[in-house]
Amino acid sequence: MNMTVANLSRRRFLQTSGVLVVGAAVPGCSTGPMPSRNATLTPNVFLSMAGDGTVTITASRSEMGQGIRTALAQIVADELEADWSRVTVAQAVGDPVYGDQNTDGSQSIRFLFDVLRDAGASAREMLRTAAAAQWGVPVAECEAVDHSVRHAPSGRSVPYGDLVAAAAELPVPENPARKSREAYRYIGKHRVHVDADDVADGKAAFGADVTLPDMAQAVIVRPPSLGSEVAGFEPPPDEPGLIAVETLPGVAGIGAVFNPIGGVAVVADRTWTAIRIANALDVQWTEGPNAAFDSAEFTARLRESVQADGERLWDAGDVDAAFAADGAEVEALYETPFLSHAPMEPPVALASVTEGGCEVWAPVQDPQSTRNLVAQWLGLDTANVTINVTLLGGAFGRKSKPDFVLEAVELSKRLGRPVRVTWTREDDIGHDFFHAASAQYHRAKLDAEGRPTAWLQRTAFPTIITTFSGDAVDPADWELEMGFSNLPYRVANERYEYAGIQPGVRMGWLRSVCNIFHSFSANIFIDELAAAAGRDPIDYRLDLLGPSGILDVPGMQPPEGHGLDLARLRHVVERARAISDWDAARAAGRGLGFAVHHSFRSYVAVVLEVTSGDSGLSVDNAHVVIDCGTYINPDTCMAQMEGAVVFGLSLALHGEITMSNGRVDQDNFDGYPVLRMSESPEIVVELVPSDALPAGVGEPGVPPVAPALVNAVFAATGVRHRSLPLRV
Amino acid sequence: MAIEFTVNGSPVEVTAPEDTPLLWALRDDLGMTGTKYGCGKALCGACTVRIDGTPMRSCQTPLASVQGKSVATVEGLRASHPKLVETWVKNNVPQCGYCQAGQLMSASALLDDTLSPTDEDIDRAMSGNICRCGTYGRIRTAIKEAGEVRT
Repeated sequence: MNMTVANLSRRRFLQTSGVLVVGAAVPGCSTGPMPSRNATLTPNVFLSMAGDGTVTITASRSEMGQGIRTALAQIVADELEADWSRVTVAQAVGDPVYGDQNTDGSQSIRFLFDVLRDAGASAREMLRTAAAAQWGVPVAECEAVDHSVRHAPSGRSVPYGDLVAAAAELPVPENPARKSREAYRYIGKHRVHVDADDVADGKAAFGADVTLPDMAQAVIVRPPSLGSEVAGFEPPPDEPGLIAVETLPGVAGIGAVFNPIGGVAVVADRTWTAIRIANALDVQWTEGPNAAFDSAEFTARLRESVQADGERLWDAGDVDAAFAADGAEVEALYETPFLSHAPMEPPVALASVTEGGCEVWAPVQDPQSTRNLVAQWLGLDTANVTINVTLLGGAFGRKSKPDFVLEAVELSKRLGRPVRVTWTREDDIGHDFFHAASAQYHRAKLDAEGRPTAWLQRTAFPTIITTFSGDAVDPADWELEMGFSNLPYRVANERYEYAGIQPGVRMGWLRSVCNIFHSFSANIFIDELAAAAGRDPIDYRLDLLGPSGILDVPGMQPPEGHGLDLARLRHVVERARAISDWDAARAAGRGLGFAVHHSFRSYVAVVLEVTSGDSGLSVDNAHVVIDCGTYINPDTCMAQMEGAVVFGLSLALHGEITMSNGRVDQDNFDGYPVLRMSESPEIVVELVPSDALPAGVGEPGVPPVAPALVNAVFAATGVRHRSLPLRV
Repeated sequence: MAIEFTVNGSPVEVTAPEDTPLLWALRDDLGMTGTKYGCGKALCGACTVRIDGTPMRSCQTPLASVQGKSVATVEGLRASHPKLVETWVKNNVPQCGYCQAGQLMSASALLDDTLSPTDEDIDRAMSGNICRCGTYGRIRTAIKEAGEVRT
């Protein structure tokens, strides 16, 4: 597959001509009189059909549990009218021929839906055309059905494989006809994930599962605070299996982009030898200004900053006059802590640097940026760098930052042999690109009916931009557009303000990013207003939302078809109310909490039911409704919502990273617990049927979960929590 | 020194430092990469294997301690527990898949002990296995279905 890819135009992946590869797949096979079985139909980089009719679909996005390898293949196979049992999925290396490969922002399907439909349809049209020519009949009379082309008038049928050689000679159609929605056979239908069997057999290859001859294993003793340099260390006693101890330069501090943070690498023949020696190594450090970073002091500053005027994003109506009028006021301060991604597979990478080239095997979310960074690191042309993407054992944003790959590359270069760098769990949690801590301040003036007449909201958090530019302070527009500047509740007099503070650790995006804290505060504050007004929280929200239309947000121009559609938002609210039996009375000690959030172009409403009793709090069930527009694999969408509930409850109940003296106080799953089976509620998901444009699925389920929990605890106990994690 | 034991019924011999955790002996010495490193402290369950039938965290099991014992890993599970693997796949349990070997090994031990496990049985047996993707509900379903098949 990769050989074929390299021969294709880098400019337009859908308009390359058919490639006839003879004898390439079967070494030693005759290329004589019967070439057809060795022909390959490769109309584009995403699919290839061999002469026996087997189809290889190349997934250009990284699989990290979101089912993308399956979903992408479903789209191509559907338009191709392929027999699913004859489809295998290959994984693309990092290469711009595939277009953007950055698996991030819940946008793979959104970006690739039409591209992959055309990829499958173009091959299907070439096969139909080849059959028509063979039979001397009009193409219009030839129908592609289940891996074959049929000619109904004559009753003839030919399997795809027999057409490959002829089809491969044809030009690739520029605008192949796409199937109608009614004709879909895989899109919108359940498929078991293509990797499920391999996972269950222990055969699926993750980052640490690729081995090379002569490979060495490295574990790195990392600096205590960001920006430290190695001052010295006592070399470990020589022992069998110890290969090298290498000092790696550090970074100046924040703004280091994805550069490795330095340390002392212990390289050995076995992973355990490297871990054991690294654990015993006593390294002295020269620390920088981040050695003073303290998260408690930092969050106090965040808290203060939202209680004073901030930078004004916009101001509508006359906020000061509205607040000066008579009437009830509600104000509240909300806080969320730093979080670590903690994917089950810690960062890991295998690199082999050879004369003039480099090959990497790693679980990366963005193999193209990885390739560029590796090429830059080694001073190579990207053409000489190959990034093989393994399965990702979870990522949640962590593995779009390939510092761990660069470490393996550097060590392989120095040692002249393949090196795998394994991050221990302590490395992972202690040296992450952390999700930002935040503070939010809300204040509203209510009229006699309890409706807000004035609204003031302030957000403060360290921007992710600090990872790319060390002097950045202000949040980026795209961070504010994650549930802050695009709240669906519009009030006549409203003011939105923000503040940024520089952190002393690396910031990164974590599943649903700033939506986590913006959805948290807004959904709880609306609940607080409803309580102040003596209203049902769902009724209250529906009253505040416009009945229909696209939300008009100052300064925001969402692409056509992707604006916040108030009717769709209301629909998920209503459906969540219905399926959770919201209006039925609950026993004492039980409570329902609601939250709704629009993010990554999708609409998600969540109802959580909790019980508060002598044995503490239990989350009994969750009802989730998502409208993600056109969906590919409904079961995957539901699984992502189930996972989002667990991820959201993890951060709501347990998630907290703190720093003292620049050092992260947590380092494993004891100090940084995540939700376990016994804490996991029953989860019911409803997927809204829709023919709207495809929208995000991997992330939008997370933001409503934590506020729904807080609101449920309030309903059950009357106690209002305003910070995470919940202390119950 | 050489440690001898069986893995999924086949005799193996590993020559490695005795304190080497079984996890790394399986992965680095025997090339059996189905068993995963997750935390190194027996906190997450990703490395769960069965030793003489008992689910154990291989990251905290010294190689020397399995001398003469019978180790079962995920690679042998389809042969030993075909129904469990079948219901697991049918329910599309795995998301990223990384924790699933450990989950499956814990689940297989539960089903060997308990024909039709209750929710409480499942909570007790499975709460040592973390899944960051949140596949718990499907794990529960798959275990129950596999249990029903057996009875």
